[in-house]
Amino acid sequence: MPEEINKSVEARSSAASEPALVHDDTTAKWFLISSIAYFFIVGIIAVTIAAKFVWPSLLGTVQYLTYGRLRPLHVNGMLFGWLLAADMGLSFFMVPRLCAVKLWSEKLGIATAILWNAIILGAVVSLLMGWNQGLEYAELPLPLDIAVVVAWIMFGVNIFMTVASRKYDQMYVSIWYIMGTILWTAFVYLTGNFAVLFATGTNQANLNWMYVHNAVGLIFTPVGLAIAYYFIPKSSNTPLYSHKLSMIGFWSLAFVYVWTGAHHMLHGPISQWLQTISIAFSVMLLIPVWAVVYNFFATMKGQWHQLKDNVPLKFLMSGVVFYLLTCFQGPMHSLRTVNAIVSKTDWIPGHAHMAVLGAFSFFAIAGCYHMIPRVFKTTIFSEALANWSFWFLMFGGLGFFVTLWLGGFWQGWQWNNPSIPFIDTVIALKPVWIVRFFSGILMFLGIVSFGYNIMATILGAKDRPAAA
Amino acid sequence: MLRKADSSFGFAIGAALVFFFIGGTLTTIVPPLVDKTWSKPFENNDPSKGPTGKLKPYTELELKGRNVYVREGCWYCHTQQTRTLLADTKRSGWKGVDSPISTPDEFVYDTPHMFGTKRTGPDLSRVGGKYDSQWHRTHFRNPRDLVPGSIMPPFPWIAENPEELRAITAYLQTLGRSKNWRPDNDYEK
Repeated sequence: MPEEINKSVEARSSAASEPALVHDDTTAKWFLISSIAYFFIVGIIAVTIAAKFVWPSLLGTVQYLTYGRLRPLHVNGMLFGWLLAADMGLSFFMVPRLCAVKLWSEKLGIATAILWNAIILGAVVSLLMGWNQGLEYAELPLPLDIAVVVAWIMFGVNIFMTVASRKYDQMYVSIWYIMGTILWTAFVYLTGNFAVLFATGTNQANLNWMYVHNAVGLIFTPVGLAIAYYFIPKSSNTPLYSHKLSMIGFWSLAFVYVWTGAHHMLHGPISQWLQTISIAFSVMLLIPVWAVVYNFFATMKGQWHQLKDNVPLKFLMSGVVFYLLTCFQGPMHSLRTVNAIVSKTDWIPGHAHMAVLGAFSFFAIAGCYHMIPRVFKTTIFSEALANWSFWFLMFGGLGFFVTLWLGGFWQGWQWNNPSIPFIDTVIALKPVWIVRFFSGILMFLGIVSFGYNIMATILGAKDRPAAA
Repeated sequence: MLRKADSSFGFAIGAALVFFFIGGTLTTIVPPLVDKTWSKPFENNDPSKGPTGKLKPYTELELKGRNVYVREGCWYCHTQQTRTLLADTKRSGWKGVDSPISTPDEFVYDTPHMFGTKRTGPDLSRVGGKYDSQWHRTHFRNPRDLVPGSIMPPFPWIAENPEELRAITAYLQTLGRSKNWRPDNDYEK
């Protein structure tokens, strides 16, 4: 890597060198505001389904509000209503800045935002009605799937055209990750929502898990890392440690992730050799993960004191730690022996929440805290409240993850002892679910304080103009 | 070589897709071509080769029941796979008889597949023939009447709807029944 290229990339990722170009940012604003609204609304559903584990008859006589209908609404709402929409909004913010040009089409962007909101509202109605395709993460009925594809193409065209018209020759890491996300998502989504319809049984399950796994691995991971690669250097005002390391991380992710889908069916009715392939590649995932995490930690070298009063940086760096942990768990419970204990237990939601909430939502929240004051040309409503939102989410999250890991492991051991009747393993988990419910309340308080802070920042923007 | 992807838009896109498609093709399109049990319905008449039996397509009533199972999201809490684990074969077993493991050829007619990822309630891959219709009706009305400590939600709108109740019970009775695994043949109808 020639030194001058390295420098130019680093320079662009640090705050000093932004060219004097006025960005419109309407699309980014629309996406972020609606995603934060869904974060709050779906948070209520999240707490409700956690409560159903403790009080199983809660809302039990209302057909539209049973666990089996609220759970997909929680999952789809958080994944597509909150996180993906926030990630798209942040991409609309980052890409024009990294390319030093305006967004290719603000009008197309706004149309994408409107279509996205229509999809989410359609999802709420169809999932509550029980119009469920019966495939995990692919629950939405076909017309909505088609609308998602259209919205994704609109998003992709806008971003690609912006990148194609960039002023700088070289593309910063975040741009590759966003382009990768757009391309891979297209194929992963088509596999998981359309190709599956032409398969049955094990074949269908294999396609389904390829999608489910890569929804996290090739959608939320690359766009989440794009956000981290952009905002960690920005927030800490420090250049990225190594461009080369970020390349290793990106290209190994591109190659390794897609092979691992079958690890969702270890010990299950699927060919043993395919299970073994998925295990081997799951372990290889340590390469991209450690390359990325090392890069972020090395960037922070000598800068850790900034964590004391920089809330976005708190979210970003604890997100990195959660990313490291969740991506250590993943390869480990792909091993057959560990899998025999933790698979299908409450460990799994503990693991999934650490990835989606602990890592990728933390990145997105940091992005919101950074971006919202800037695009509304104001300052944050309350630093103290932002700090509270961090600690609520941190402690709520830790309470959730840790109790479910311990509980899940314990549950798995009990299952592996067939002399214990199944119902006793359910009753044994009740204290775990109570702790999970109260952790959920803490997390929800975090969402409320985050959402309120952003709302107050926007509404009071005129009273608190940004210092020039 | 990959440094070119740094500044070439087309090269970055091309490389990202090639990398993705190598693994994508080998793990999704190739496996069903290699392993025929994924698409060939289970059939065995030779007791020396394991449980005998034949996988039959679902009847109209069973399919209707299956749709109820999908609609209510039963599959979020109940898996349908007896894995290659000793404990699974014991738990799916009945009256001291261990259940055979689930194999891909038992699920050829399943769409959407109902393998599941989370076992909040017990696995249902061999539940067919274990409980009679009266049991299922009472259980749907309020699971805790039959299983104290259960956290399954009540489904009164199924228990009180004779048509749906008949359909879902018919579906549940098919689960795991392509393999005749109970020597006494004591399956509930």
